[in-house]
Amino acid sequence: MNVGKTQEMVYEMKVSAVMTRDVITIGSKERMSRLRSLLQGNRISGVPVLEKGQLVGLISIEDFIKWLANDQEDCAIEERMTREVTTIYEDDPLVLAIRKFESTSLGRFPVITRDQKTLVGILTKGDVIEGLLKKLEIDYQEQEARHFPARYLFDNIEADDTSLQLRYNVKGQDFTQAGDSSTRLKRTLRRLGLRSDLVRRIAIASYEAEMNLVIYTEGGRIRAEVEPARVFVEIEDSGPGIADLEKALEPGYSTAPEWVREMGFGAGMGLVNMKKSADEFIIESEPGRGTTLNVSFRINEEPHEVN
Amino acid sequence: MKLTELVETLGLEVRSCSDNLFKKEVTGGYASDLLSDVIGNSRSGDLWITLQAHVNIVAVASMKELSGIILTGGREPDEDTIQKAESEKIVIMVSKLPAFELIGRLYDLGVRGVSNKTS
Amino acid sequence: MNLEDARKVLDAEVIVGTNLEEIDVEMGCGADLMSDVLAFGKKGSLLLTGLTNPQVVRTCEIAEIVGICFVRGKRPPEETITMAREHSLPLLATRVPMFESCGRLYYHGLKGCSETKE
Ligand SMILES: Nc1ncnc2c1ncn2[C@@H]1O[C@H](COP(=O)(O)OP(=O)(O)O)[C@@H](O)[C@H]1O
Ligand SMILES: [Mg+2]
Repeated sequence: MNVGKTQEMVYEMKVSAVMTRDVITIGSKERMSRLRSLLQGNRISGVPVLEKGQLVGLISIEDFIKWLANDQEDCAIEERMTREVTTIYEDDPLVLAIRKFESTSLGRFPVITRDQKTLVGILTKGDVIEGLLKKLEIDYQEQEARHFPARYLFDNIEADDTSLQLRYNVKGQDFTQAGDSSTRLKRTLRRLGLRSDLVRRIAIASYEAEMNLVIYTEGGRIRAEVEPARVFVEIEDSGPGIADLEKALEPGYSTAPEWVREMGFGAGMGLVNMKKSADEFIIESEPGRGTTLNVSFRINEEPHEVN
Repeated sequence: MKLTELVETLGLEVRSCSDNLFKKEVTGGYASDLLSDVIGNSRSGDLWITLQAHVNIVAVASMKELSGIILTGGREPDEDTIQKAESEKIVIMVSKLPAFELIGRLYDLGVRGVSNKTS
Repeated sequence: MNLEDARKVLDAEVIVGTNLEEIDVEMGCGADLMSDVLAFGKKGSLLLTGLTNPQVVRTCEIAEIVGICFVRGKRPPEETITMAREHSLPLLATRVPMFESCGRLYYHGLKGCSETKE
Protein backbone atom coordinates (compact mmCIF):
# COMPACT_ATOMS: atom_id res chain seq x y z
CA MET A 1 0.00 0.00 0.00
CA ASN A 2 1.21 3.43 -0.87
CA VAL A 3 0.79 5.22 2.42
CA GLY A 4 2.71 8.21 1.22
CA LYS A 5 3.75 11.47 2.62
CA THR A 6 1.00 12.31 5.06
CA GLN A 7 1.58 9.12 6.91
CA GLU A 8 5.30 9.66 7.02
CA MET A 9 4.62 13.08 8.38
CA VAL A 10 2.34 12.02 11.20
CA TYR A 11 5.15 9.78 12.40
CA GLU A 12 7.92 12.27 11.91
CA MET A 13 6.33 15.46 13.14
CA LYS A 14 6.19 16.19 16.84
CA VAL A 15 3.34 17.64 18.83
CA SER A 16 5.48 20.67 19.65
CA ALA A 17 5.63 21.61 15.97
CA VAL A 18 1.90 22.17 15.65
CA MET A 19 0.58 22.97 19.15
CA THR A 20 -0.62 26.36 20.27
CA ARG A 21 1.98 27.86 22.56
CA ASP A 22 0.11 30.73 24.13
CA VAL A 23 -1.97 28.88 26.66
CA ILE A 24 -4.40 30.64 28.91
CA THR A 25 -4.13 29.14 32.39
CA ILE A 26 -5.53 29.70 35.84
CA GLY A 27 -3.98 29.07 39.28
CA SER A 28 -5.43 26.33 41.47
CA LYS A 29 -5.95 28.78 44.34
CA GLU A 30 -7.76 31.34 42.21
CA ARG A 31 -11.50 31.77 42.62
CA MET A 32 -14.27 30.25 40.51
CA SER A 33 -15.76 33.71 40.04
CA ARG A 34 -12.73 34.74 37.98
CA LEU A 35 -13.26 31.84 35.62
CA ARG A 36 -16.36 33.33 34.04
CA SER A 37 -14.60 36.33 32.55
CA LEU A 38 -11.68 34.17 31.50
CA LEU A 39 -13.91 31.76 29.61
CA GLN A 40 -15.99 34.50 28.08
CA GLY A 41 -13.20 36.87 27.23
CA ASN A 42 -11.23 34.23 25.41
CA ARG A 43 -14.03 32.10 23.96
CA ILE A 44 -12.44 28.88 25.08
CA SER A 45 -14.01 25.77 26.45
CA GLY A 46 -11.46 24.69 29.02
CA VAL A 47 -8.50 26.03 30.95
CA PRO A 48 -5.49 24.12 32.36
CA VAL A 49 -5.01 24.67 36.09
CA LEU A 50 -1.50 25.29 37.42
CA GLU A 51 0.05 25.02 40.84
CA LYS A 52 3.60 26.28 41.13
CA GLY A 53 3.96 26.02 37.40
CA GLN A 54 2.87 22.38 37.31
CA LEU A 55 -0.28 21.16 35.63
CA VAL A 56 -2.66 19.83 38.28
CA GLY A 57 -6.02 19.78 36.52
CA LEU A 58 -8.34 21.09 33.90
CA ILE A 59 -11.40 23.21 34.45
CA SER A 60 -13.98 23.18 31.71
CA ILE A 61 -17.14 25.04 30.84
CA GLU A 62 -19.08 22.00 32.08
CA ASP A 63 -17.41 22.25 35.48
CA PHE A 64 -18.25 25.92 35.55
CA ILE A 65 -21.90 25.35 34.62
CA LYS A 66 -22.24 22.68 37.28
CA TRP A 67 -20.93 25.11 39.80
CA LEU A 68 -23.34 27.81 38.63
CA ALA A 69 -26.28 25.44 38.77
CA ASN A 70 -25.55 24.12 42.25
CA ASP A 71 -24.10 26.26 45.01
CA GLN A 72 -22.48 29.19 43.28
CA GLU A 73 -20.63 29.84 46.47
CA ASP A 74 -17.25 31.16 45.54
CA CYS A 75 -14.47 28.71 46.11
CA ALA A 76 -11.02 27.83 44.86
CA ILE A 77 -10.65 26.41 41.37
CA GLU A 78 -8.97 23.28 42.76
CA GLU A 79 -12.19 22.26 44.45
CA ARG A 80 -14.07 22.10 41.18
CA MET A 81 -11.53 21.13 38.61
CA THR A 82 -11.08 17.74 36.98
CA ARG A 83 -7.90 16.18 38.28
CA GLU A 84 -7.57 13.42 35.74
CA VAL A 85 -6.18 15.21 32.77
CA THR A 86 -5.24 13.44 29.57
CA THR A 87 -2.03 15.10 28.52
CA ILE A 88 0.39 14.55 25.74
CA TYR A 89 4.16 15.04 25.63
CA GLU A 90 5.63 17.73 23.46
CA ASP A 91 7.93 15.21 21.77
CA ASP A 92 5.19 12.68 21.03
CA PRO A 93 4.67 12.04 17.33
CA LEU A 94 1.48 13.42 15.81
CA VAL A 95 0.19 9.96 15.10
CA LEU A 96 -0.10 9.39 18.84
CA ALA A 97 -2.10 12.56 19.24
CA ILE A 98 -4.41 11.54 16.42
CA ARG A 99 -5.02 8.14 18.03
CA LYS A 100 -5.62 9.77 21.37
CA PHE A 101 -8.20 12.15 19.94
CA GLU A 102 -9.94 9.16 18.50
CA SER A 103 -9.91 6.93 21.56
CA THR A 104 -10.86 9.60 24.09
CA SER A 105 -13.12 11.77 21.94
CA LEU A 106 -11.67 14.74 23.79
CA GLY A 107 -11.27 18.01 21.96
CA ARG A 108 -7.95 19.18 23.39
CA PHE A 109 -4.91 18.01 25.28
CA PRO A 110 -2.56 20.07 27.42
CA VAL A 111 0.98 19.52 26.18
CA ILE A 112 3.71 18.93 28.79
CA THR A 113 7.44 18.28 28.79
CA ARG A 114 8.52 14.71 29.36
CA ASP A 115 11.01 15.39 32.15
CA GLN A 116 9.59 18.26 34.22
CA LYS A 117 5.94 17.75 33.25
CA THR A 118 5.59 21.49 32.82
CA LEU A 119 2.87 22.87 30.62
CA VAL A 120 4.16 24.21 27.30
CA GLY A 121 1.13 24.30 25.04
CA ILE A 122 -2.27 22.99 24.12
CA LEU A 123 -3.22 20.81 21.18
CA THR A 124 -6.53 20.64 19.29
CA LYS A 125 -7.49 18.64 16.21
CA GLY A 126 -7.50 21.88 14.29
CA ASP A 127 -3.86 22.42 15.24
CA VAL A 128 -2.97 19.00 13.87
CA ILE A 129 -4.68 19.52 10.52
CA GLU A 130 -3.37 23.02 10.12
CA GLY A 131 0.15 21.93 11.01
CA LEU A 132 0.12 19.09 8.50
CA LEU A 133 -1.18 21.35 5.77
CA LYS A 134 1.49 23.94 6.44
CA LYS A 135 4.17 21.32 6.35
CA LEU A 136 2.83 19.95 3.09
CA GLU A 137 2.98 23.45 1.69
CA ILE A 138 6.62 23.84 2.61
CA ASP A 139 7.62 20.40 1.40
CA TYR A 140 5.77 20.83 -1.83
CA GLN A 141 8.07 23.64 -2.87
CA GLU A 142 10.95 21.23 -2.71
CA GLN A 143 9.46 18.08 -4.07
CA GLU A 144 6.90 18.81 -6.70
CA ALA A 145 4.01 16.52 -7.48
CA ARG A 146 4.27 13.97 -4.74
CA HIS A 147 1.02 12.51 -3.72
CA PHE A 148 -0.35 12.66 -0.26
CA PRO A 149 -3.39 10.51 0.42
CA ALA A 150 -5.91 12.65 2.22
CA ARG A 151 -7.88 9.60 3.11
CA TYR A 152 -5.29 8.61 5.64
CA LEU A 153 -5.71 11.89 7.42
CA PHE A 154 -9.45 11.43 7.54
CA ASP A 155 -9.30 7.79 8.56
CA ASN A 156 -7.75 8.95 11.76
CA ILE A 157 -9.66 12.09 12.52
CA GLU A 158 -13.02 11.24 11.06
CA ALA A 159 -14.51 10.40 14.42
CA ASP A 160 -15.15 14.07 14.86
CA ASP A 161 -16.90 14.41 11.51
CA THR A 162 -13.94 16.36 10.33
CA SER A 163 -13.87 18.35 7.20
CA LEU A 164 -11.10 20.49 5.96
CA GLN A 165 -11.92 24.01 4.93
CA LEU A 166 -9.99 26.16 2.53
CA ARG A 167 -11.05 29.76 2.07
CA TYR A 168 -10.05 32.31 -0.53
CA ASN A 169 -10.99 35.93 -1.01
CA VAL A 170 -11.26 37.11 -4.58
CA LYS A 171 -10.86 40.75 -5.50
CA GLY A 172 -13.24 42.14 -8.06
CA GLN A 173 -12.06 43.88 -11.23
CA ASP A 174 -8.46 42.87 -10.56
CA PHE A 175 -7.19 40.98 -13.56
CA THR A 176 -3.63 40.64 -12.32
CA GLN A 177 -4.70 38.37 -9.46
CA ALA A 178 -7.53 36.65 -11.30
CA GLY A 179 -7.23 32.89 -11.13
CA ASP A 180 -4.75 32.88 -8.30
CA SER A 181 -7.18 31.43 -5.74
CA SER A 182 -8.15 28.55 -7.99
CA THR A 183 -4.52 27.82 -8.77
CA ARG A 184 -3.77 27.64 -5.05
CA LEU A 185 -6.84 25.55 -4.35
CA LYS A 186 -5.78 23.17 -7.08
CA ARG A 187 -2.29 22.81 -5.65
CA THR A 188 -3.58 22.12 -2.16
CA LEU A 189 -6.08 19.49 -3.34
CA ARG A 190 -3.29 17.84 -5.29
CA ARG A 191 -1.14 17.72 -2.22
CA LEU A 192 -3.93 16.18 -0.25
CA GLY A 193 -3.73 13.30 -2.67
CA LEU A 194 -7.09 13.62 -4.42
CA ARG A 195 -7.23 11.90 -7.80
CA SER A 196 -5.80 14.16 -10.46
CA ASP A 197 -8.75 14.12 -12.86
CA LEU A 198 -11.00 15.09 -9.97
CA VAL A 199 -8.67 17.91 -8.95
CA ARG A 200 -8.70 19.16 -12.53
CA ARG A 201 -12.50 19.23 -12.65
CA ILE A 202 -12.70 21.08 -9.34
CA ALA A 203 -10.08 23.58 -10.49
CA ILE A 204 -11.89 24.25 -13.76
CA ALA A 205 -15.17 24.96 -11.99
CA SER A 206 -13.53 27.12 -9.37
CA TYR A 207 -11.55 29.06 -11.98
CA GLU A 208 -14.61 29.86 -14.09
CA ALA A 209 -16.44 31.01 -10.97
CA GLU A 210 -13.46 33.07 -9.88
CA MET A 211 -13.28 34.79 -13.25
CA ASN A 212 -16.95 35.67 -12.95
CA LEU A 213 -16.26 37.23 -9.54
CA VAL A 214 -13.47 39.28 -11.08
CA ILE A 215 -15.41 40.36 -14.16
CA TYR A 216 -18.93 40.92 -12.86
CA THR A 217 -18.64 41.74 -9.16
CA GLU A 218 -16.68 43.79 -6.66
CA GLY A 219 -15.26 40.56 -5.29
CA GLY A 220 -16.37 37.51 -3.39
CA ARG A 221 -15.36 34.38 -1.59
CA ILE A 222 -14.51 30.82 -2.49
CA ARG A 223 -14.79 28.18 0.19
CA ALA A 224 -13.83 24.60 -0.44
CA GLU A 225 -14.72 21.88 2.00
CA VAL A 226 -12.99 18.54 1.69
CA GLU A 227 -14.76 15.62 3.26
CA PRO A 228 -13.87 11.94 3.06
CA ALA A 229 -16.41 11.27 0.32
CA ARG A 230 -16.83 14.58 -1.46
CA VAL A 231 -15.48 18.02 -2.14
CA PHE A 232 -17.86 20.88 -1.87
CA VAL A 233 -17.10 24.31 -3.30
CA GLU A 234 -19.14 27.39 -2.54
CA ILE A 235 -18.59 30.61 -4.43
CA GLU A 236 -20.50 33.64 -3.30
CA ASP A 237 -20.63 37.34 -3.92
CA SER A 238 -22.88 40.22 -2.99
CA GLY A 239 -22.61 41.75 -6.42
CA PRO A 240 -25.23 42.70 -9.02
CA GLY A 241 -26.80 39.23 -9.27
CA ILE A 242 -28.17 37.66 -12.42
CA ALA A 243 -31.56 38.78 -13.70
CA ASP A 244 -32.28 35.89 -16.03
CA LEU A 245 -30.66 32.72 -14.74
CA GLU A 246 -32.02 30.54 -17.50
CA LYS A 247 -30.41 32.73 -20.10
CA ALA A 248 -27.11 32.94 -18.23
CA LEU A 249 -26.93 29.14 -18.26
CA GLU A 250 -27.29 28.95 -22.05
CA PRO A 251 -24.03 28.16 -23.85
CA GLY A 252 -22.70 31.31 -25.48
CA TYR A 253 -24.77 33.81 -23.50
CA SER A 254 -22.59 36.55 -22.11
CA THR A 255 -22.89 40.14 -21.04
CA ALA A 256 -19.12 40.57 -20.92
CA PRO A 257 -17.89 43.80 -22.52
CA GLU A 258 -15.68 43.71 -25.59
CA TRP A 259 -12.43 44.32 -23.69
CA VAL A 260 -13.11 41.24 -21.58
CA ARG A 261 -13.66 39.22 -24.74
CA GLU A 262 -10.41 40.47 -26.15
CA MET A 263 -8.73 39.07 -23.05
CA GLY A 264 -10.15 35.67 -23.86
CA PHE A 265 -13.08 35.67 -21.46
CA GLY A 266 -16.78 36.24 -21.96
CA ALA A 267 -17.41 33.33 -24.31
CA GLY A 268 -20.52 32.56 -22.32
CA MET A 269 -19.28 29.10 -21.44
CA GLY A 270 -18.32 29.58 -17.81
CA LEU A 271 -21.47 28.35 -16.12
CA VAL A 272 -21.80 25.60 -18.72
CA ASN A 273 -18.26 24.44 -17.98
CA MET A 274 -18.92 24.47 -14.25
CA LYS A 275 -22.04 22.40 -14.63
CA LYS A 276 -20.26 19.94 -16.86
CA SER A 277 -17.36 19.57 -14.43
CA ALA A 278 -19.42 19.09 -11.30
CA ASP A 279 -21.44 16.19 -9.98
CA GLU A 280 -23.89 18.64 -8.49
CA PHE A 281 -24.37 22.26 -9.44
CA ILE A 282 -26.74 24.71 -7.80
CA ILE A 283 -26.89 28.39 -8.61
CA GLU A 284 -28.91 30.98 -6.76
CA SER A 285 -28.98 34.62 -7.63
CA GLU A 286 -30.98 37.68 -6.84
CA PRO A 287 -30.55 40.94 -8.71
CA GLY A 288 -29.06 43.56 -6.44
CA ARG A 289 -28.19 40.97 -3.82
CA GLY A 290 -25.61 38.63 -5.20
CA THR A 291 -24.97 35.17 -6.48
CA THR A 292 -24.16 31.89 -4.74
CA LEU A 293 -22.91 28.79 -6.47
CA ASN A 294 -22.80 25.41 -4.78
CA VAL A 295 -20.75 22.91 -6.65
CA SER A 296 -19.92 19.46 -5.38
CA PHE A 297 -17.81 16.56 -6.49
CA ARG A 298 -17.86 12.95 -5.37
CA ILE A 299 -14.48 11.62 -4.41
CA ASN A 300 -14.96 7.92 -4.93
CA GLU A 301 -16.49 7.94 -8.36
CA GLU A 302 -14.85 6.18 -11.25
CA PRO A 303 -12.50 8.51 -13.11
CA HIS A 304 -14.34 10.78 -15.48
CA GLU A 305 -12.99 13.65 -17.51
CA VAL A 306 -14.72 16.92 -18.25
CA ASN A 307 -14.46 16.37 -21.93
CA MET B 1 -12.88 25.11 -53.74
CA LYS B 2 -16.61 25.61 -53.26
CA LEU B 3 -18.17 25.70 -49.80
CA THR B 4 -20.55 22.93 -50.73
CA GLU B 5 -17.69 20.43 -51.15
CA LEU B 6 -16.46 21.12 -47.65
CA VAL B 7 -19.93 20.85 -46.20
CA GLU B 8 -20.34 17.39 -47.66
CA THR B 9 -16.90 16.04 -46.88
CA LEU B 10 -16.77 17.31 -43.33
CA GLY B 11 -20.41 16.80 -42.45
CA LEU B 12 -20.96 20.45 -41.57
CA GLU B 13 -24.44 21.66 -40.77
CA VAL B 14 -25.58 24.85 -42.43
CA ARG B 15 -27.36 27.41 -40.28
CA SER B 16 -27.79 30.38 -42.60
CA CYS B 17 -27.92 31.37 -46.23
CA SER B 18 -27.61 27.90 -47.75
CA ASP B 19 -28.32 29.37 -51.24
CA ASN B 20 -24.81 30.74 -51.21
CA LEU B 21 -23.07 27.39 -50.71
CA PHE B 22 -22.53 26.86 -54.43
CA LYS B 23 -21.48 30.42 -55.07
CA LYS B 24 -18.87 30.99 -52.42
CA GLU B 25 -15.31 30.11 -53.32
CA VAL B 26 -12.98 29.29 -50.43
CA THR B 27 -9.50 30.62 -51.13
CA GLY B 28 -7.95 30.21 -47.70
CA GLY B 29 -8.59 29.78 -44.00
CA TYR B 30 -8.42 32.05 -40.98
CA ALA B 31 -8.92 30.94 -37.40
CA SER B 32 -9.44 33.37 -34.55
CA ASP B 33 -11.84 34.20 -31.76
CA LEU B 34 -10.74 37.79 -31.52
CA LEU B 35 -12.76 40.05 -33.75
CA SER B 36 -10.08 42.72 -33.89
CA ASP B 37 -7.61 40.14 -35.17
CA VAL B 38 -9.95 38.96 -37.91
CA ILE B 39 -10.66 42.53 -38.95
CA GLY B 40 -6.96 43.23 -39.09
CA ASN B 41 -5.54 40.09 -40.61
CA SER B 42 -7.99 37.94 -42.56
CA ARG B 43 -8.06 38.05 -46.38
CA SER B 44 -11.13 38.14 -48.56
CA GLY B 45 -12.24 34.64 -49.53
CA ASP B 46 -10.98 33.16 -46.24
CA LEU B 47 -13.18 30.67 -44.47
CA TRP B 48 -13.37 31.80 -40.83
CA ILE B 49 -13.13 29.23 -38.03
CA THR B 50 -14.30 30.52 -34.66
CA LEU B 51 -16.16 29.88 -31.45
CA GLN B 52 -17.66 33.33 -31.25
CA ALA B 53 -21.38 33.03 -31.86
CA HIS B 54 -22.68 36.51 -31.28
CA VAL B 55 -24.03 38.84 -33.89
CA ASN B 56 -20.87 40.87 -34.41
CA ILE B 57 -19.24 38.02 -36.35
CA VAL B 58 -21.60 38.65 -39.27
CA ALA B 59 -20.57 42.26 -39.61
CA VAL B 60 -16.92 41.28 -39.58
CA ALA B 61 -17.40 38.52 -42.19
CA SER B 62 -19.34 40.85 -44.41
CA MET B 63 -16.87 43.71 -44.12
CA LYS B 64 -13.89 41.46 -44.85
CA GLU B 65 -15.73 39.54 -47.62
CA LEU B 66 -15.01 36.19 -46.02
CA SER B 67 -16.37 33.10 -47.79
CA GLY B 68 -18.14 31.76 -44.72
CA ILE B 69 -18.02 31.10 -40.99
CA ILE B 70 -17.74 27.74 -39.25
CA LEU B 71 -18.54 27.62 -35.55
CA THR B 72 -16.64 24.80 -33.88
CA GLY B 73 -17.09 22.59 -30.85
CA GLY B 74 -20.85 22.31 -31.41
CA ARG B 75 -21.42 26.00 -30.70
CA GLU B 76 -24.70 27.31 -32.15
CA PRO B 77 -25.18 30.83 -33.50
CA ASP B 78 -27.49 33.15 -31.56
CA GLU B 79 -30.92 33.82 -33.05
CA ASP B 80 -30.03 37.38 -34.02
CA THR B 81 -26.76 36.16 -35.52
CA ILE B 82 -28.71 33.90 -37.90
CA GLN B 83 -31.10 36.69 -38.86
CA LYS B 84 -28.32 39.10 -39.54
CA ALA B 85 -26.43 36.45 -41.54
CA GLU B 86 -29.47 35.85 -43.73
CA SER B 87 -29.76 39.52 -44.52
CA GLU B 88 -26.02 39.96 -45.09
CA LYS B 89 -25.80 36.76 -47.17
CA ILE B 90 -23.20 35.16 -44.94
CA VAL B 91 -23.09 31.37 -44.74
CA ILE B 92 -22.77 30.09 -41.18
CA MET B 93 -22.01 26.43 -40.63
CA VAL B 94 -21.44 24.44 -37.45
CA SER B 95 -19.19 21.50 -36.66
CA LYS B 96 -18.97 19.30 -33.59
CA LEU B 97 -15.19 19.15 -33.91
CA PRO B 98 -12.90 21.35 -31.84
CA ALA B 99 -11.11 24.02 -33.88
CA PHE B 100 -7.76 22.21 -34.03
CA GLU B 101 -9.21 19.12 -35.66
CA LEU B 102 -11.54 20.91 -38.00
CA ILE B 103 -8.65 23.01 -39.24
CA GLY B 104 -6.55 19.86 -39.61
CA ARG B 105 -9.22 18.29 -41.81
CA LEU B 106 -9.61 21.44 -43.89
CA TYR B 107 -5.85 21.51 -44.30
CA ASP B 108 -5.92 17.92 -45.52
CA LEU B 109 -8.47 19.03 -48.13
CA GLY B 110 -6.13 21.71 -49.35
CA VAL B 111 -7.36 24.82 -47.51
CA ARG B 112 -4.34 26.87 -46.43
CA GLY B 113 -3.71 29.78 -44.17
CA VAL B 114 -0.92 32.26 -44.69
CA SER B 115 2.43 30.84 -43.75
CA ASN B 116 3.80 33.96 -42.12
CA LYS B 117 2.35 37.08 -40.76
CA THR B 118 4.30 39.73 -42.59
CA SER B 119 4.12 43.14 -41.03
CA MET C 1 5.20 14.13 -31.00
CA ASN C 2 7.33 16.04 -28.54
CA LEU C 3 7.50 19.77 -28.04
CA GLU C 4 10.71 20.10 -30.04
CA ASP C 5 9.06 18.39 -33.04
CA ALA C 6 6.17 20.82 -32.79
CA ARG C 7 8.59 23.73 -32.52
CA LYS C 8 10.31 22.69 -35.74
CA VAL C 9 7.04 22.29 -37.64
CA LEU C 10 6.10 25.85 -36.70
CA ASP C 11 9.61 27.27 -36.95
CA ALA C 12 8.95 28.70 -33.50
CA GLU C 13 11.23 30.55 -31.16
CA VAL C 14 11.63 29.33 -27.58
CA ILE C 15 10.76 31.97 -25.00
CA VAL C 16 10.62 29.78 -21.90
CA GLY C 17 11.67 26.17 -21.53
CA THR C 18 14.56 23.78 -22.02
CA ASN C 19 14.89 20.16 -23.17
CA LEU C 20 11.76 20.43 -25.26
CA GLU C 21 12.35 16.99 -26.74
CA GLU C 22 11.62 15.49 -23.34
CA ILE C 23 8.14 16.96 -23.19
CA ASP C 24 5.48 14.82 -24.85
CA VAL C 25 2.66 16.57 -26.62
CA GLU C 26 -0.33 14.32 -27.01
CA MET C 27 -2.83 16.68 -28.59
CA GLY C 28 -3.29 20.10 -30.06
CA CYS C 29 -5.79 22.70 -28.99
CA GLY C 30 -6.30 26.00 -30.79
CA ALA C 31 -8.28 28.68 -28.98
CA ASP C 32 -8.34 32.34 -28.10
CA LEU C 33 -11.08 31.96 -25.52
CA MET C 34 -10.06 30.60 -22.17
CA SER C 35 -13.37 28.87 -21.46
CA ASP C 36 -12.78 26.83 -24.57
CA VAL C 37 -9.36 25.78 -23.43
CA LEU C 38 -11.03 24.62 -20.23
CA ALA C 39 -13.86 22.91 -22.07
CA PHE C 40 -11.97 21.27 -24.93
CA GLY C 41 -8.32 21.26 -24.01
CA LYS C 42 -7.22 18.00 -22.47
CA LYS C 43 -4.47 17.24 -20.06
CA GLY C 44 -1.23 16.92 -22.01
CA SER C 45 -2.19 19.21 -24.89
CA LEU C 46 -0.22 21.97 -26.56
CA LEU C 47 -2.19 25.22 -26.69
CA LEU C 48 -2.00 27.39 -29.78
CA THR C 49 -3.32 30.85 -29.10
CA GLY C 50 -3.18 34.45 -30.20
CA LEU C 51 -3.68 35.69 -26.66
CA THR C 52 -0.63 36.60 -24.61
CA ASN C 53 -1.89 37.90 -21.25
CA PRO C 54 -0.88 36.12 -18.02
CA GLN C 55 -4.35 34.59 -17.73
CA VAL C 56 -3.37 32.23 -20.51
CA VAL C 57 -0.66 30.77 -18.28
CA ARG C 58 -3.09 30.47 -15.37
CA THR C 59 -5.59 28.73 -17.59
CA CYS C 60 -2.98 26.23 -18.74
CA GLU C 61 -2.04 25.55 -15.15
CA ILE C 62 -5.67 24.79 -14.34
CA ALA C 63 -6.26 22.69 -17.46
CA GLU C 64 -2.90 20.89 -17.27
CA ILE C 65 -1.76 22.01 -20.70
CA VAL C 66 1.94 21.17 -21.24
CA GLY C 67 2.99 24.16 -23.32
CA ILE C 68 1.85 27.26 -25.18
CA CYS C 69 2.72 28.39 -28.66
CA PHE C 70 1.76 31.99 -29.43
CA VAL C 71 0.76 32.30 -33.06
CA ARG C 72 0.86 35.02 -35.75
CA GLY C 73 3.94 36.75 -34.42
CA LYS C 74 2.51 37.66 -31.04
CA ARG C 75 5.07 38.28 -28.29
CA PRO C 76 4.00 37.79 -24.68
CA PRO C 77 4.46 40.63 -22.18
CA GLU C 78 6.98 40.31 -19.37
CA GLU C 79 4.34 39.32 -16.75
CA THR C 80 3.34 36.34 -18.84
CA ILE C 81 6.93 35.21 -19.23
CA THR C 82 7.58 35.55 -15.50
CA MET C 83 4.51 33.56 -14.63
CA ALA C 84 5.37 30.83 -17.12
CA ARG C 85 8.83 30.53 -15.57
CA GLU C 86 7.29 30.22 -12.11
CA HIS C 87 5.06 27.41 -13.30
CA SER C 88 7.76 25.83 -15.52
CA LEU C 89 5.44 26.11 -18.48
CA PRO C 90 7.24 26.20 -21.84
CA LEU C 91 6.41 29.14 -24.12
CA LEU C 92 7.00 29.21 -27.86
CA ALA C 93 6.26 31.91 -30.41
CA THR C 94 5.73 31.49 -34.14
CA ARG C 95 5.00 33.93 -36.94
CA VAL C 96 2.66 31.39 -38.50
CA PRO C 97 -1.03 32.29 -37.95
CA MET C 98 -3.47 30.02 -36.15
CA PHE C 99 -5.07 28.28 -39.11
CA GLU C 100 -1.81 27.37 -40.75
CA SER C 101 -0.23 26.34 -37.41
CA CYS C 102 -3.02 23.93 -36.53
CA GLY C 103 -3.10 22.59 -40.09
CA ARG C 104 0.61 21.86 -40.17
CA LEU C 105 0.69 20.17 -36.79
CA TYR C 106 -2.31 18.04 -37.70
CA TYR C 107 -0.64 17.14 -40.98
CA HIS C 108 2.43 16.05 -39.02
CA GLY C 109 0.36 13.71 -36.92
CA LEU C 110 -0.66 15.69 -33.85
CA LYS C 111 -4.13 14.62 -32.80
CA GLY C 112 -7.01 16.81 -31.74
CA CYS C 113 -8.61 16.62 -28.33
CA SER C 114 -11.73 14.74 -29.39
CA GLU C 115 -9.73 11.98 -31.10
CA THR C 116 -7.88 10.77 -28.06
CA LYS C 117 -9.14 8.81 -25.12
CA GLU C 118 -7.54 9.05 -21.73
N1 LIG D 1 -21.20 36.23 -10.12
C1 LIG D 1 -21.92 36.82 -11.09
N2 LIG D 1 -22.53 38.02 -10.85
C2 LIG D 1 -23.25 38.61 -11.81
N3 LIG D 1 -23.44 38.11 -13.04
C3 LIG D 1 -22.88 36.94 -13.35
C4 LIG D 1 -22.08 36.23 -12.40
N4 LIG D 1 -21.67 35.10 -12.98
C5 LIG D 1 -22.17 35.09 -14.23
N5 LIG D 1 -22.91 36.19 -14.47
C6 LIG D 1 -23.68 36.49 -15.69
O1 LIG D 1 -23.91 35.27 -16.39
C7 LIG D 1 -23.36 35.35 -17.71
C8 LIG D 1 -22.83 34.01 -18.13
O2 LIG D 1 -21.71 33.66 -17.32
P1 LIG D 1 -20.66 32.61 -17.86
O3 LIG D 1 -21.39 31.38 -18.27
O4 LIG D 1 -19.57 32.47 -16.89
O5 LIG D 1 -20.13 33.27 -19.19
P2 LIG D 1 -19.18 34.54 -19.43
O6 LIG D 1 -18.50 34.86 -18.15
O7 LIG D 1 -18.25 34.07 -20.47
O8 LIG D 1 -20.08 35.63 -19.90
C9 LIG D 1 -22.33 36.44 -17.63
O9 LIG D 1 -22.11 37.07 -18.89
C10 LIG D 1 -22.95 37.41 -16.63
O10 LIG D 1 -23.93 38.22 -17.25
MG1 LIG E 1 -17.62 33.41 -16.99
